[in-house]
Amino acid sequence: MSTRTPAPTGTTGRLRADLAATDVVVRHFGRTLVDVPRLHLQPHRPLTVVGESGSGKSLLAHALMGTLAPELEVTGAMRVGEASFDLADRRGRRRLWGRELALLPQEPVLALDPTMRVRQQVAEGAAGWPADRRGALRGADERLDGLGLAHAAGAYPHRLSGGMAQRVAYAAATIGGAHVLVVDEPSKALDRPAVDRLADLLLAHAAAGGLLLTITHDLRLARALGGDAWVMRDAAVVEAGPVEEVLERPSTDYARALTGADPARWSRRWPTVHPAGTGPSGPGVEPGVEPGVEPVVEGRDLRKAYGDQCLFAGLDVTIRAGERWALTGPSGAGKTTLGDVLLGLTPADGGRLRRADRAAGRLQKLYQDPALSFPRRVPVALSVDDTARRHGVDPARVAMLVEQVGLSPDLLGRRPDQVSGGELQRVAVVRAMLTRPVLLLADEATSRLDLLTQQVTVEALMGQVVEDGCGLIVVTHDEALAGALTEHRITLGDDPRR
Amino acid sequence: MSTALHELSATPAPTGAAVHRPRRRSRARRACAAALALLVGFALVGPLVLGDPAAQDLSRFLEPPSWGEPLGTDDYGRSVLTRLAHATRLSLVLAVLCVATALVLGATTGVLAAWRGGWVDAVLRGVSEIFVALPALLVVLLVAALASGGSLVAIYVGIALAQWVEYFRVVRARAGLVLGSPAVEAAGLLGLGRLHVVRRHLLPDLRPLLTTLASLGMVTSVLAMSTLGFVKVGLEPPRAELGLMITESFPFYDVAPWMVLGPVGVLFVLTVSLLGLRDGEDAA
Repeated sequence: MSTRTPAPTGTTGRLRADLAATDVVVRHFGRTLVDVPRLHLQPHRPLTVVGESGSGKSLLAHALMGTLAPELEVTGAMRVGEASFDLADRRGRRRLWGRELALLPQEPVLALDPTMRVRQQVAEGAAGWPADRRGALRGADERLDGLGLAHAAGAYPHRLSGGMAQRVAYAAATIGGAHVLVVDEPSKALDRPAVDRLADLLLAHAAAGGLLLTITHDLRLARALGGDAWVMRDAAVVEAGPVEEVLERPSTDYARALTGADPARWSRRWPTVHPAGTGPSGPGVEPGVEPGVEPVVEGRDLRKAYGDQCLFAGLDVTIRAGERWALTGPSGAGKTTLGDVLLGLTPADGGRLRRADRAAGRLQKLYQDPALSFPRRVPVALSVDDTARRHGVDPARVAMLVEQVGLSPDLLGRRPDQVSGGELQRVAVVRAMLTRPVLLLADEATSRLDLLTQQVTVEALMGQVVEDGCGLIVVTHDEALAGALTEHRITLGDDPRR
Repeated sequence: MSTALHELSATPAPTGAAVHRPRRRSRARRACAAALALLVGFALVGPLVLGDPAAQDLSRFLEPPSWGEPLGTDDYGRSVLTRLAHATRLSLVLAVLCVATALVLGATTGVLAAWRGGWVDAVLRGVSEIFVALPALLVVLLVAALASGGSLVAIYVGIALAQWVEYFRVVRARAGLVLGSPAVEAAGLLGLGRLHVVRRHLLPDLRPLLTTLASLGMVTSVLAMSTLGFVKVGLEPPRAELGLMITESFPFYDVAPWMVLGPVGVLFVLTVSLLGLRDGEDAA
C-alpha cells in the first residue's frame, strides 16, 4: 500500500496495448498461493490458464484485477499500455474496472443482482451512467440484442438459465468498453452449447484486438480459444506454450495427467455385470430378458411438465439390475426431473411406474453439490455412522470403503463445508454404498469438479458400482463422460433452440 | 459491472475474516456473561443470606445507604437489598419458566406444522396469527384478569402464551427449509428415519436460532413482568418484585432517591448482558 504509482495518463484515449505483469506473488499467512514471475498478454493472443482446483489460477486473475480478499498478501507489478500499477495497491486499479479491466466472474447467476432487472444491471456499467441514463439503457439494449437476449432485458436474474446469465454477465462486464477481459471459470455448470456460445463471444473480443485471460479447467474451451496455454499447479506455472503444444503434446508428467483426465481420453472401461444389452426403450423391444432379471425400475408412457413447459411425454424406460444408463441433454431439459421420477422423489404427471420389491430402500442418489446432501452442521462422520448403524453395517466395512475411495479417515471428523467438493462426493459414494443399493442415480455428481478430481471421484464411484453390481444412472451434459461410463442412453430435449 | 465485482471480492478466501472477528466480540461477551453470572449468584445466594424481605422495622423508616444496609431501607423500614435479591430471583425464575415453556411449545408446533403440512399447518398457522394480531400485553392482561388477583401462575401463563408465537413462526420457516433440502431427501433415501432427521438436521440447525430467540425472550419476559408490576396488574404489593419496587419508591423519590436505583440497575444490567450474549450467537 505504500508505493503510490502515478495514475495512468491516457485515460481519454483507449490504452490499446498489451498487459504485462511481473513477479506476481500471493501469500496467505506465509504460504505461497501464486508465484508467477512473468505474464504477458498481447492482442490477438488469448492466454488460457488451466489446472486443478487450488492451483492458484483464479487467485492470479484476482491479483491482476485487484479483487483479492483483504487477508491475502500480494506483491508484484503490472503494466497496462503505458500505465503501471503496484499490485499491492488494490484501490489503484478500481478506476480501471469496467473501463479498461473487466472480470467475467464464476457463477454468473450469483454475481448478478437478484433485485435488479437485466437491462438496468447491464446499463450500470456503461460509460455514461448515471448522467446519461437513456443512452446507457440504449447501449444495454443494443448489447443484449447482439447477444440474442433482447427478450430477457426486462427479466430478473432468477428467470435466466445458466447460459443466459453468463451472457448477461458478459454484457455487463464489457459494456464499459474494457480492453482487458479476465474470465474466471466460465464453464462451471454450463452445458456444451452454452460453453460454445461463450467461446464465440470471447473469441470475438480477442479478434477485435482485446486482451483475453481465461481461467478454466475445461480443456475443450481452452482448445477453442487457441492462443497460449499455461498449466498451473501448486501456485506455479509448470508448463507454458501454444495451446496445441501444451494440450496435445505435454512435456511434463503433470500436464500429461491433466490432459489425460479428460473423459474423452479415458482408456479405462469398467466391466458390466449384465452384458446382455436390452433395448433402450419402447414397449415392443424386450429382447434377451434373462429369467429372474426383472427390471429394477420400469416406466411406461411417463409424462412430466412444469407449467406449460413439457419436459418429456410418452417416455418408456426399463432399467435392469447392473445396467448403466446415461441421461443426457441440455440444461433445463428435465434430466434431473426424470431421474427423480425414476427414484420416486418426484411424482410423474402421467404414465405407469413400477419398482421391484427388492429395490425398496435401495435406490440412492448422489447430488450435484454434495455439501447440500449432508446435514450442514454436524461432522460428516456422524452421517456415515448413522447410515452404517441403521443398515447394520460392520464398522470395518465402513473403514474399508473409506480407504477404497482414497480418503483419509480423519477427514470425516470435519463438517461438510470444511471438506472439498471432490472428497465430499467420495464420502457420499461411501454413504450410498453402505445400503447396498441396486440403483444409484448420479445427478451431475462431478460437473462442478475439475478434470483430475473428477477422474479420481469417478474411479471411486465406478469401483464401488462394479464391485457391488449396482445399477447406475448418470445424469450429465458431458457427452464424453456419458460415453465413458455407460452403455445405455436416454437423451432428452433434442431441441436445438435451447 | 460493479455488482459483479463486489460479489467477487468476498469469494476467494473468507476464512481470514472469520478468524478475526469473534475475538473482539468474545471480550464483550465475556463481560456480559460475567455480569449475568453475578446477578444470578446474587439472586441465588441473596435470599438465603439476607433473610425475610417482608420484615418491617418502622423505626428505620427511609434510611439512606449505610454499611449495614448498602441500599438503605424503604418506607416500612424493610431492607431494600433483601427485597432486591428476592425480586431478582423471582424475575429470573419466572423468565426462565416462561421462555422454556414458550420455546418448547413454539418449537414443537413449528416443527409439526412444517413436517405435516396440510390442515395441521393451516390450523396452527391460524392460531398463531390470532396471537400475532393481539398485542402481547393484552394477552397477559387477559390471563391476569381471568385468574384470581396477583397470582404467579397467571403471569407465567400469560407471558408464555404471548411469546410462543415467535418461536413457532421462526421454527416453522426454518424447519420448512431444512426439511425440503437435498440433505433430508438423501436421508430419506438412506432410510435413516425421523429421529435422525430431528437429531442431525433439525436440532443442529435450529439450536443457534433458538438460543438467540431465548435470550431475547428472557429480556422481554423480565421487562414484561416489571411493566405489569409497575402498572400494578401483575403481582400485589407485599411481594418483592422489580417493577413493583420501582412504583413503590416513586412517592419518596424526593427524600429517598436511592430506593429506585437498585431495581432499575438490576433491570438494566440484566437486559444489557442478555442482549450482549445474544450478539455473539447471531453469527450462526
